[in-house]
Amino acid sequence: MIRVENLGKTYMAGAHPVVALAGVNLEVKPGEFVAIMGPSGSGKSTLMNLLGCLDTPTSGCYFLDGTKVSGMNDTELARTRNRKIGFVFQTFNLLPRMSAMRNVEQPMIYAGVSPRERVRRAAQALERVGLAQRLHHKPSELSGGQVQRVSIARALVNNPSVILADEPTGNLDTRAGEEIMAIFQELNRSGVTIVLVTHEPDIALHTSRIVHFRDGRLVGDEPVADPLDARQLVSVEPAANQSGSSDQGGEAGLP
Amino acid sequence: MNLLESIRVALEGIMASKLRSLLTTLGIVIGIAAVIAVVAIGQGGRAVLMSEMEKIGTNIFAIYVDWRTNKQVTGREFDLSDVAVIKDKVPDITRLSPVNQVSGEARGTKDKKSTQILGVSSDYAYIRKFNMKEGRFFSEEDDTGKRRVAVLDEELGGQIFGRVDPLGSKVTLGSTPFLVVGVVAKGESALGFEENPKVYIPIQVWQVMFNTQVQELEGSAVSKEKVDEAMGQAVKVLERRHREPGKYASVSMEQEMKTANKITGIMTLVIGAIAGISLFVGGIGVMNIMLVSVTERTREIGIRMALGARRRDILVQFLIEAVMLCLLGGVIGMALGAGGAYLIAKLAKWPPLVSWYTALLAFAFSAAIGVVFGILPANKAARLNPIEALRRE
Repeated sequence: MIRVENLGKTYMAGAHPVVALAGVNLEVKPGEFVAIMGPSGSGKSTLMNLLGCLDTPTSGCYFLDGTKVSGMNDTELARTRNRKIGFVFQTFNLLPRMSAMRNVEQPMIYAGVSPRERVRRAAQALERVGLAQRLHHKPSELSGGQVQRVSIARALVNNPSVILADEPTGNLDTRAGEEIMAIFQELNRSGVTIVLVTHEPDIALHTSRIVHFRDGRLVGDEPVADPLDARQLVSVEPAANQSGSSDQGGEAGLP
Repeated sequence: MNLLESIRVALEGIMASKLRSLLTTLGIVIGIAAVIAVVAIGQGGRAVLMSEMEKIGTNIFAIYVDWRTNKQVTGREFDLSDVAVIKDKVPDITRLSPVNQVSGEARGTKDKKSTQILGVSSDYAYIRKFNMKEGRFFSEEDDTGKRRVAVLDEELGGQIFGRVDPLGSKVTLGSTPFLVVGVVAKGESALGFEENPKVYIPIQVWQVMFNTQVQELEGSAVSKEKVDEAMGQAVKVLERRHREPGKYASVSMEQEMKTANKITGIMTLVIGAIAGISLFVGGIGVMNIMLVSVTERTREIGIRMALGARRRDILVQFLIEAVMLCLLGGVIGMALGAGGAYLIAKLAKWPPLVSWYTALLAFAFSAAIGVVFGILPANKAARLNPIEALRRE
């Protein structure tokens, strides 16, 4: 699925070269759910940009689905982002003027999917993240958790090889964050490969493997023995949000 | 991404800020409206001028002494025998009349009025296609018999006779009484030219009264195609008879129409060009706002790139948005310009002339402005770095 060999990225900050990432070797197999952790400046964002084909490495190789991505031109990179990668951002990055449906349709527009098919698949994807009742709402009319679910639907809709989630729960309260993790886990169970960047250990423990970065290098790679199941955390709470203050208590009550 | 989808995305962008889009496109609106109105009014005016001249007759001409030769005008430049000789030698000339005129006073039963007194032959009524309101134009016999008969303009008749029927009454020109034998109906002039009131008397009577030969000749040819040739032959006959080459000049309605056509054409072009400058300024306004829009929507561009938009897709999106803005302005401007032209035409009693090709041209032109002034902002958008664009707030 994802294979990077000796991947490196060096920026020029004025006349001084800054090494953001060096000698990274990493392999993510289909169906894996990987968390990337590390302090800020550790190179995890740089790695995500490289894995997301938004940036090109200064050294090393990157293979996605057996295809060599390093060395592609802008147009090929755009096509790869469109077909093989689904992004979920910390700041959601939905188009504010458009309905949830229109937002989810956007990747399919660039893929050349017919309008009728787009509407069908967008509705399906939104249903999959539990927003069947919110198809025509604009982002401003939705809660933070709902907005992030729209962006997950958008990431899913072109059936990408991998979903790259950059701090997807960073702007959400704990409960909404758990809901998002429940969705990711559900998707992962159905076979979707997910790479997630976070600095919250609680969130990372929902994945099946944690990779640690420090100073631009991979410093640790370990499986999670017993991943937390977000479904239980969410289902402990009543479905409605009335008892919002008990969120913390409910979570703390679990071991 | 196909064109239809690009247009939809562009329209969503335009509709998102309706007031701003409208204000942005205002320059194009005014420019297109001005061009459409100017061209329509110019063409309408020209059509009216041409039809006026056609009404007078496209086959008529005048021969006069060329003032540029600086020769003394003696009043003996032409004489009545010239008229007969020219008609005899140039068969393409159907009618020919001497035309003498002087301003004088006409007195009727009610009032007196300063007027133009014209001495002409009976041919003159045919050359000018006079429509008689009542009575008749004077005949050749009236002329050769030197009868003191006169024909009045309808307007003059009303002014000096009031409600009394001028026909059969006496009109006094200077101190000589004339019998009114006819009244010429007033012609409809869409241009609203105010012509001086006129009274027509037989040329031979005129000659006696004012002791002058012939000042000018007016005539008509068999057709407008033959008029210039016939007129030239007549001038040659005159030069031979009077042995003064270069003394006579001539002008035909055909030539006048060509000149008038040229002048109105140039005027339309000049005013149209000035209106075109406002279109140019409007285009710069669109470019300016599109540049601001690209900066404001940097984040959107980053998102679209992350979702798989190629640089070309971004370029096309912003280019189409600029074109749509300009087309919107073009359509509004066209409606305003056509409305304005129609209103002015109605007030001036001209035919409104907004031709479909003017509209099409304006449409194409506004689209072209969109492309020309949209390419810079669109290119700026397409060149953004996706990572930096995504980071922008």
